Amino acid sequence: MKKIISLVSFVFVLLISTSAFAQEPADRLIGIWEPSHGKAKVKVEKIGSKYYGKIVWLREVKDPETGEAKVDKNNPDEKMRTKPLRGYRILKDFQYTDKDEWTEGTIYDPENGNTYNCIVKMTDENTLDIRGYIGIATFGRTDIWKRLKMPSKKK
Amino acid sequence: MFLTKKNFAFSAILCFGMVAVAQTDTTAVEEEEEDYSMYDNLDFVDEATKRFAPVKIKGISPAKLITVGYDFQGSYDMTAGSFATDRGTYAEQTAEVNSTQGLRVEANIPVISKNSLVVQVGARLWDINYDFENPQSLTNPLLTNLQNNNLTSIGLNSTIYKPLNENTFLLFRVAAEMNGDYGLDKLQSMSYNRYSIAALWGKRPTDNKQWAIGISRTYRAGEMNYIPIIMYNWTSSNNKWGTEILFPARGHVRYTVNSRNMLFAGFELEGNSYRIGNDGGALSDSDFDELEIRRSELRFRFVYERQLKGFVWVSAQAGYRYNYSYNVDQVADGDEFFRGFFGDQEYALENDLTNPLYFNVSINLVSP
Repeated sequence: MKKIISLVSFVFVLLISTSAFAQEPADRLIGIWEPSHGKAKVKVEKIGSKYYGKIVWLREVKDPETGEAKVDKNNPDEKMRTKPLRGYRILKDFQYTDKDEWTEGTIYDPENGNTYNCIVKMTDENTLDIRGYIGIATFGRTDIWKRLKMPSKKK
Repeated sequence: MFLTKKNFAFSAILCFGMVAVAQTDTTAVEEEEEDYSMYDNLDFVDEATKRFAPVKIKGISPAKLITVGYDFQGSYDMTAGSFATDRGTYAEQTAEVNSTQGLRVEANIPVISKNSLVVQVGARLWDINYDFENPQSLTNPLLTNLQNNNLTSIGLNSTIYKPLNENTFLLFRVAAEMNGDYGLDKLQSMSYNRYSIAALWGKRPTDNKQWAIGISRTYRAGEMNYIPIIMYNWTSSNNKWGTEILFPARGHVRYTVNSRNMLFAGFELEGNSYRIGNDGGALSDSDFDELEIRRSELRFRFVYERQLKGFVWVSAQAGYRYNYSYNVDQVADGDEFFRGFFGDQEYALENDLTNPLYFNVSINLVSP
């Protein structure tokens, strides 16, 4: 009986592990990405069933005006203007549809404090078309993001 | 190595625990500390990936996708030169223009937007109406023609930005325009279309600066000319001051109050060649026809641009309109000729305009 329970447990854990580690098409968005301007790196993570991207690297970490770490000073919400940009979540609420697209999300531009509707399209495993737009996708701009290698864990 | 009951329970709790954590809504700003130094030196997964100079620099004013504006020039005097045709001789005449005003609608839509190539296609419709103080007193055919007919511009253009690497780029612009005293219900012949082209080579040494030099075939001076171009866009490190210069077309100093309010001071050189006499009359006599107004004006101005809501911005400009050219050439069959700054070809009509104040207001849908 003990052996049967152990066997069932093993199969159960194996199944869960397999499903956890097999990358779903949607999870290909997870990773570190560099926008075309090269001024930042964005880490995309999955939280619940949605995808979010936060700034994890800035070419210019400090605000030249204050000498302090850059904050989200252009945010229309005054309470957010003291929040550090590094660590800031600029991609929010993306859901995988199909055809290599993640939709229903928004992208935030810290340089002007605007939030745009956004569609993410994976054109190949290492390239994203990030289209921020206003109302309808025609009135928008597409930026190409490239996948970066995952950082090695520090010892 | 089979798992025990205790391990099974632990595994199950761990698994369900992970699911529970994953369902937590963490859309707020990340609070937890992370060692960000691990992201300092990361290579592209695709080693063939190249970085390219972005089209914009930091702090530059937002690009306008759609503009609907109204342009108004105050009172000034227009002097039309004398000329003679088979029908008669027409004396020089000076008349007061109450106002010159019109609607200006433009659209500029990016059709290709990649890191390695940006292509934008644009269209515009401009209308210029002349309102003379005393229309009944007009005798010179140029003045009566302007009183009776608007000048209309319909144009198509395309701008191509091609970065070569991280800090070097090429910029091209082509435009085709139909300018004249025609009506939208009866366009003039396409053979009178006017074509402009510009090509620049530039550098973007930092996120705050880009410059370029180039050459243009342009009608901004009224008649066709080949003019060197200098671009210099710059933003100060504190993001407050900057320049947006594409000389000689325009040049402005920018002061950024905040990312939603901007002030500019500078100039614009505005001009084109307008076919006149489309509706017949003295300006289309057999020996005095095929005429084009070489209109060019310098506008010294202050501009205030601010976000109204979301992506809708309002722009208000006011300044002084200085007439550079309003002479008329005879351009047979629309075949353009080159006079340049030093050519000695005579004008068919030499005219003069005094200089009024002007204002322009527009509502704009800006680009992300």
